[in-house]
Order: sequence, then C-alpha cells, then structure tokens
Amino acid sequence: MTSKLHAAPRALLVLAALTFLLAGCGDGGSATGSDGAATSADAGTVKGALRVPQDYNTIQKAVDAAKAGDLILVDEGTYHEAVDVTTADITIRGVNRNKVILDGQFKLENGIRVLDTDGVQVENMTATSYLSNGFFWTGSDRYRGSYLTATHNGDYGIYAFDAYHGQLDHSLGSGSPDAGFYIGECYKCDAVIDTVISEHNGLGYSGTNSGGDLFIVNSIFRKNRAGIVPNAGSYELCYPGRRNTIVGNTVYDNNNNEAPAIDVALLAQGNGILIAGSVDNIVERNLVFDHDRTGIAAVPFPEDDANDVAPPKSEWDRTCASTRNDKIPAKDASPGTILWHPYDNSIQDNVVSGSGLADLVSATLPSKTVTVESLGNCFSGNTFTSTAPTDLETLSPCGGPTTGDWSKGAFDLIPLIADQAPAPPKDTYRKTPEPGDQPTMPNADTAPAKRFSHPEKVDVAAIKVPAKPKGA
Amino acid sequence: MTPTPHRRLKLRVGVATSAVVVVIAGLLVMQANDNSSTAVAPPATVGLAPADRTPPTATPARYTGPQGRVGQFVVRCPYSHSGPHDPIVHFGHAGRSHRHDFYGSAATNSTSTIGDLQAATTTCDKSVDTAAYWQPTLYDHDRVVVPIEAHAYYRAAPGVPKESVNTMPAGLALIAGDQTATTPQGGEATGWTCGSNTVLSDHPPTCTVDAPLHLVLTFPDCWDGVHLDSVDHTSHAAYSTGGRCPASRPVSIPQITVSVDFPIWDSGHDLRLASGNIYSAHGDFWNAWDPSGLAREITGCIHRGAVCDLASNREEEALFSYGS
Repeated sequence: MTSKLHAAPRALLVLAALTFLLAGCGDGGSATGSDGAATSADAGTVKGALRVPQDYNTIQKAVDAAKAGDLILVDEGTYHEAVDVTTADITIRGVNRNKVILDGQFKLENGIRVLDTDGVQVENMTATSYLSNGFFWTGSDRYRGSYLTATHNGDYGIYAFDAYHGQLDHSLGSGSPDAGFYIGECYKCDAVIDTVISEHNGLGYSGTNSGGDLFIVNSIFRKNRAGIVPNAGSYELCYPGRRNTIVGNTVYDNNNNEAPAIDVALLAQGNGILIAGSVDNIVERNLVFDHDRTGIAAVPFPEDDANDVAPPKSEWDRTCASTRNDKIPAKDASPGTILWHPYDNSIQDNVVSGSGLADLVSATLPSKTVTVESLGNCFSGNTFTSTAPTDLETLSPCGGPTTGDWSKGAFDLIPLIADQAPAPPKDTYRKTPEPGDQPTMPNADTAPAKRFSHPEKVDVAAIKVPAKPKGA
Repeated sequence: MTPTPHRRLKLRVGVATSAVVVVIAGLLVMQANDNSSTAVAPPATVGLAPADRTPPTATPARYTGPQGRVGQFVVRCPYSHSGPHDPIVHFGHAGRSHRHDFYGSAATNSTSTIGDLQAATTTCDKSVDTAAYWQPTLYDHDRVVVPIEAHAYYRAAPGVPKESVNTMPAGLALIAGDQTATTPQGGEATGWTCGSNTVLSDHPPTCTVDAPLHLVLTFPDCWDGVHLDSVDHTSHAAYSTGGRCPASRPVSIPQITVSVDFPIWDSGHDLRLASGNIYSAHGDFWNAWDPSGLAREITGCIHRGAVCDLASNREEEALFSYGS
C-alpha cells in the first residue's frame, strides 16, 4: 500500500511544522476568534477557537456566530443536527473523528450542508443516519473534507455539486444507495479525491457531468455494488462527464448484493471501474480485481427521457459556466432515450484480474453513426487475462492505429442489461456494516485552521500500482 | 427488447428546469420588485379575500430543460391516498368534492386542519414537508389511474430576483388551473406532457414507457400578503409577469411547479378527470410545511441560488429501453 499512503506523510510533515511554529510564537494566528463569544482557555486547544458545546451548545450556533478565518472545534459527543453553512472561510473540526458524531436519526436531511459559500473546511468527524447526505457542498468553491466518516446516509456519503477547487481526503464513505463519494456538475472541477475508502455503497464513486482536473487517486473502492462510475446525463448541466484522472486506486470485490442501491447501481453492479458514458478519461495504474462482470470497462450510459442530445466533441472544452444560459433548440429538447457513448478513454498500465466476463472492455450499442471501433478508447500496458473484444490492446493501442477484427469476442451488453440484481429494500442503507474506528486527524485540537485556497497538486507520474491489500 | 414487468413499475419524473435568457434579462434590467418584506402568518382573524372580478390575466413563465441553472429545492412525494375531499374548497364536507389524489401529508381529508397535516407523517422525502398537494383523479376508460408520485420544484419564478422571494405562511392555499374549464385553458398553469418534455399540451399526448404521461401544474408566485385564502380560492394570489408581481399581490413567494407522474403510455386511452373532461386539469397546494423548515430551504437554496436537490433518473432508472 505504499502509493496509497504517499499523501499522508506530507500532511503529517505540514502539521508537525505548524505545531512547531505554534509552540514558538504561542499564537494560532489564523484563529481570529469571534466577537463576544467566550472562548475556552483549555490547555492544548487552538486559541480563539469557537468550541462546541463549551461556547455554543450546537454546531449550528457556532457556525452562525463564526467569522471568516474562524475554527469551530467540536467536542466529543453525539449531535442531532442538520447544519447549514453560509459563512465563508471557516473550518468545522471535530476533536476525534470517531467520537464526534452528527446523527440524523433518519429524520434529518443532511449532516453538514454548505450553501453557495466558499472556503468551508469540514474535518475529523462522523455523519451518520441522514436521509440525504452526510456532508454536502453545493455551489461552494474551495471546499475541503478531510478525515470524515459518512455512513448510513440515504443519498450520498460525501457530496459536492456545482463546486470547484475542492479536495476530499483521508475520508470514508459507507452505506449509501447512491455513491459514497460524488462530485457532480463541474467543468473544470479542479478537484482531488485522495486517500479515501468507499465501501458498502451502491456506487463507490460516481460523478455526473464532472471532470477536468478532477483526480481520483490512491483510494480504495471495495465491496460496493460497483466501484468507480463516472457518467453523463442531461437532467443537469455540463454534460457529458469528461476528463477525469483515475490513477493508483485499489478497486476490488464490487459485487455486493447486500449493499443499498439506486437503480443505476443495479445496472452497474459487478464492475470495478465502469466508464459509463463519460469521455476522455485517463485510467492508469489501478489495481482492479475480483469482479463478477468486468474489471475496467468503457460502456454507454442510457438516459431515458433526456432533456437534450449529446453535444459534439467540439463542445467538450466549454466550461460549465459558459453553458449555463444555453437555450436548447426545440428539435433537441425532447429526444426520448439517448445513449451517452464512452469516447476517447485512455486505459493504461492497470493490473486487472479475476473478472467474470472480461478484465478490459470497450463496448457500445452500435447505431448508424457509432460503432465500438469508432469510440476511440485505447488500451496499452495493462496486465490482464481477458478482453472484450478479443485482443483489445492490439485492436486499439494508445497512440497507435485502430486495426483488426472488432467483432471477435465483442462484448454483448443486452443480456447484462436484462439480467440485473433485484432492488433491495429502500431502508437497506440503514443496516450496512459499521466501518469501525478510522484514523483520526493528527493534532486536531491544536492545529490552527488555514485558509483553503486550492486542492493539493497531484504528482500523477509518481503514483505506482498499489500492492494487493492483505486479506483481500 | 420485450417489455418486462419492471418497466411498468418505472418511477420517474423530471420536469426539469431551465432558466432561460429571461432570468438574466430580469436580473440585469429589473432591479425592482421591492418585496423585501418578510412574509409572516396573518392573524387568524383575517378572513377570506373577496373575489376579484377582474383578476390579473397573467399565466406563469416556466423553467424547462436541464436543472442546475437556478437555485432550487425539490421534494419528491409518492402518492399517498385518494378521496372525495377538498379541505380548501369544501372544508368539512366529505363527499361534496370530486375525488382527489393526495401527496405529502397523510392526514389530508375534508376536515383536516393545518395542525393535523403538520402532525401527520408525510410521503415526501423531506420530512419537514407535511404540506398537502392534490389533483383530481384521472380515469382511463372509467377506471381509476393510480398516480405514482409528484415532484414539487420550488424556485424563484423566471425573472424574479431570487433574494426577493419570501417564505409562505402556514395555511396558505394555492390553486393552479381552473377546475370548471371545459375547453383548453391556455397559458401554462396546467398542461399535459410526456416525461420531462418541454412542451405542454391541453390534451394528453401519446407517450412512451420511458417518458410516461405527466400533469404539470405551476402555482401562483405572488400573494396579497394578507389572506391565506379567498372566497373564490384564487383572488389572493397571482402570477408574476416579467419577474414582477402585480401591485395588488405584491409579495413574491416561491414558484411551485408540481409534476405528477401517471403510469400511462402508448395509445388507446380514454382519459378524463374527476373534475370533468380532460381540460379541467388543476391542482391544489395547502401549505402545511414545518414553518422553520420551509424558511430554511427558501433562505439556503433559493436566496443563495444553490441547487439543493435534483430530480434525476438515477434513483429510479427505467430498465434500458433503447431500441424499443
């Protein structure tokens, strides 16, 4: 697991340095405090932090009292709150990831919801049993979620929508019928998912209409119904999803019949990395094993009752913002069911094994204008035992010409679509396995809050194929 | 592909949204709409507003197309129950009303009060939405069509400055469409469509299984600020025009668009409504939201322009129907 951990030592070093500085100058510096709020003088906590419950008896009250730059430090306890955040540039941090618990009791909607508010960091706590999402940023840039645990939430675990310049790291999403981690409707997102675990969800990762400097790296996706599933859809803006960089992840055993599921998860079940109508993605150096259907597959995503047709490739460079006011021509506005074809994906140097149907797949449902050989998906340098069509790396090497017989061993999608797992009961998400204690943030009670300006720079080239985890 | 039983169970809606150029024009050109007052529940002693003999004729501007262009929150409310009840028009008189299909609060009947609704469970996916939504029952060849669900989209109406939208008092009654109509109603307060198609029709179009029949209702987004209801049940509210409320109903409230999903597709249907022929399409909204919960969504989502919810087909994807 060396590559999985590569980001952690750096974070530790930064924290150690900050702690040293703190000791030297005796002032947290960035924690500015809040007018009129009595702050605790407990030894060892960041000076000026707004403390819950010592200073404010709810997290919401502390958030409402906070000013830009403030750190809200939440003490151990269970909080039956749905917190809305509309104060920019604050940090909400638990003192112990496993003992600071936001509990929606299956009555409240979201644990922490950040609404059109930039620079909000949430750290080192658990959100469980919410009807919608554990942690949710919408319309909010410079977001960061770190050392978070989200379990048993009814839609997503950790969710960013229409949000840019964000980072989710050292976190766990478990037991959601949709995705454990989801980043949607952004281009270019400028976002990073690094060193997370996603398990027992309908989908490990999903993101509709997102991409562009979106990195999913060094993470574990296991025991979901499907692993990593970027897709496209015209019910929201910025279609199609495109240009995700998926590197150095460990993706295994995503066949979980016991997991909760939305219908898309049933459609995707039994696949490791499923590029479902997303385009121009880079999938490299992932370790992918033990899937009932496919290891890494580029397949079409069907959208019924679509609001628009798929845009031509010439529009993939357009930013999300520039499409916001596009008027859809009447001839395109009600196209019925459309297919999002998975074009131009580059799948290289992955290690894939134990797939029930094929380790590597490129497929579509051919139409008058689209054939599987015209998709432009390329495969090179992978370790595998089977592909569909046969000899994919010869048919379509990256950087090389597309040649050969694409009909031989072609992947037949129709039976897979017809043969879906039965939908589980709606409340399945409430009963998934508990994740157990997770690593807590170092120096949570002493590290000052820092303004979050942009996600870490991912050194993609330095990432290696992960080693197989013990016991997997 | 041969249709499978799954496809008949398809649950799906999505009127989607789109802010059209009108929104931008409205924001740039119209600074006004000075409805910054905070709407509060009028005192209980305020009676019904008198009927307006010359009501404004405006009909709503609607959002169409992909969601995500303006702030919104969306409530998905599966079908709850039906009955000859109408607590707005025929309060206390079970059986006097034609039959309605109800969504939201499970308590809605002829004698239910706002307190009853708020105290009951709700079919809606936001537990704070204990409001009542209803429409006349649809019949196909004289057989009841049991609807699947309704989605309610809450947004600033096109052109209305998002910060000017006020919350609504508990007990506010709103009606979209005219139950007495026997000919096409015109405008877009009510209309039939397939799935999330952009165009509304006066008569139900022939739909397909992947985009079945929907009734789309858009409620008035302007209120007189005083009366929860009126003698004719409509005169206390009106539609904005070009992003402005009329002076007689100056208070902006969220534009609620409700899309009801019926399991009807293909041809061969003979449709009518409990209220009369198919042109009598209408719907009711009776505000029994938890007041703080509603205010929170309006402030957090509409005022800030944040997309708090989406109606998508992720959750209830039809079995793949390509080529059918």
